[in-house]
Amino acid sequence: MSVRFTTREIGSLGKPSWRVKAFAGRPIEEEDVREAERWGKRLEVDGHEELVEGLRAASSNTLLLGNGGLALAAIDDWASRYAIRLLEQAGLDVVYDGEQKRTEMYDHVAAFAHGFEARGTVRSFDNKYYAKAAVVEPPSADGPQDVEELRFVAANTQRRVKVPLTGAYTMEDWSYDEHYAREGALGGSAERRFEARRQFVEDVAERVIRPNVVGLVEAGADWIQIDEPAAATKPDEVPLVVHGFNTALRDVGAAKRSMHICFSDYRALWPSVLELDDCLELQLEFANRDSRELGTRAEDRPGYADTLRLFAEHGYPGVGLGVLDIHSDFVEPAELVRDRILFAVDALGGPERIQVNPDCGLRTRSWDVVYEKLSNMVAGARLAEDVVNAA
Amino acid sequence: MASLKAYAAGIYPRSEALVQATRDLDRGRTTAEAVDEQRRADLQALVAAQEEAGLDLLTDGLLDWQDLFRPLAERSDGVTARPLTRFLDTNTFYRALLVDGALRLREPVPAPELPAGRWLATLPAPSALGRAARGAASSQAFAADVLAPQIEADAEAGCALVVLVDPFLAREGGVEEAIASLRELPDGVPLVLHLPFGDASGILDALAEAPISAVGVDFYATSLDAVPDGFPKELAAGIIDVRSSALENPDELAAFADTLLERNPAGVALTVNGDLQFVPEPVAREKVLRLGRARALLAEGVTA
Repeated sequence: MSVRFTTREIGSLGKPSWRVKAFAGRPIEEEDVREAERWGKRLEVDGHEELVEGLRAASSNTLLLGNGGLALAAIDDWASRYAIRLLEQAGLDVVYDGEQKRTEMYDHVAAFAHGFEARGTVRSFDNKYYAKAAVVEPPSADGPQDVEELRFVAANTQRRVKVPLTGAYTMEDWSYDEHYAREGALGGSAERRFEARRQFVEDVAERVIRPNVVGLVEAGADWIQIDEPAAATKPDEVPLVVHGFNTALRDVGAAKRSMHICFSDYRALWPSVLELDDCLELQLEFANRDSRELGTRAEDRPGYADTLRLFAEHGYPGVGLGVLDIHSDFVEPAELVRDRILFAVDALGGPERIQVNPDCGLRTRSWDVVYEKLSNMVAGARLAEDVVNAA
Repeated sequence: MASLKAYAAGIYPRSEALVQATRDLDRGRTTAEAVDEQRRADLQALVAAQEEAGLDLLTDGLLDWQDLFRPLAERSDGVTARPLTRFLDTNTFYRALLVDGALRLREPVPAPELPAGRWLATLPAPSALGRAARGAASSQAFAADVLAPQIEADAEAGCALVVLVDPFLAREGGVEEAIASLRELPDGVPLVLHLPFGDASGILDALAEAPISAVGVDFYATSLDAVPDGFPKELAAGIIDVRSSALENPDELAAFADTLLERNPAGVALTVNGDLQFVPEPVAREKVLRLGRARALLAEGVTA
């Protein structure tokens, strides 16, 4: 049987300027309207003329925005449709909506769940920032969070859908703790700190994420991706990452479940990740740390060799191979994508455990760059298949 | 009682106004001059907060530093900062260092506009630079060829204390090499080796012999029980938790420091356990004030 590598995105895309400005209450300008028109045509978005017309009217009369004219909810829907079409047109096999209806992966959950309070803005890197909240009581949720989002995506694509959800450990690790570790933190024991974090993770997984997963699966989701970018940052706590994953997905019938991790020292993941229940794969960032030169030898692929050795050594789970650097406008040629995949095939002794994706969400790149990168990723996957199938 | 001081080294958070200014700069909506003006306003507010708190040494908060390593990398030959790399267990990143030649500091990072004899410098420890370069250059080379000239320049400009930060050492080991690299540094200004976000209990004994005046310990990652009696160096006690938005109680901080003093170290300084940039600026400002209150309580002998 011939090999075919499944191609997918990881999560977030940048939001169109017209979506950003509409929600920020800033004026829609002619340039925004032209962008909506350009991408609507380029992506062949059904009915995009309606959006363009509404934006154009709003650009000349701001009262028409969300006020009997183009409602914010409708703009959200349009942003979703555009993102889905971008991923489809780039050729991906599995899509979502670039998280167009979410603020940001952490805030999306913290703002929805009970038990979190916003604390302000902190820096992520350079001039990039994010909002951070504190847990002030055991988190909980009134019900599933993302079912309507899934239904909208499923109704607007024929492709397979993968739902990205922020993981319990990352929610814990990125939050301030004003509840679980409130007492006895100064000069306290490592055991006490660990127990506080374990309880926090368990509560988020059981009381916030699991209800969402149950609702999503009931609504038809068959692939849940748990995003744990913080997973490998504290080697001693990788068991907590696993505990959060298994708790959130316990007795849930999703056909596929996977985990995304990025920008970390992956050596910390094993052997704990062997305990992940039915995890199809770890989707990891590799390209960020790789050379941009072509080649399939270990010395050509410094970003891949060490981590793939871990996959090969332990045999579980599969690998979602990050082949696009999401922090650079450099558009990886298809041949470079091909070589990264072929190196992985060689490192793992075959193609069976490999699927293909960007390193992470592409939200910091322009749609022009994203489209070129993803198109080349798909083309590179096809080139790699040609080589593998000819062997 | 041993001499007592308090200070808040490291990168300080940007105000909401400076956050917005830098975002606007990236999006072409404002000018670099406007960002600099806001940064000066932030600096004035930070200095005022430290003075109000009664801190003994002042920091400029490194408000224009993008991470701990980049300012030195940008001013040095033989090294560039590029791959975005997660900074420990924080949701923040630094640019790892790529070494492509002989290291040489071309020009030192300029001294802050603070009173001579009252300001402290925060720099990466040589061992941290070596780790950020993933071993492509030795810690000793970073010490001799990058940090030593920087520290000499700081000393000439009136620096009273250099806080050398190594966030990796307590977690990942390598203390012998770290100590060897510290021997490459000039001794004209007191040096603190600060160990944020790590359990220092396993390396305190080794650091007792290091060529530094103080060891900075994160007491939110290190048990008080780990401090040996009669530690021969000053302990820069990280008692303000920069990773928590919870505000510390000054009485409890002073009581903790009192307990620490009962173990008879060579001295105790009250400080933060890492960069205050991990909390929003209003929270950081309040923490600085509470650090100062704890220092005052301790100095007055009034503890809970």
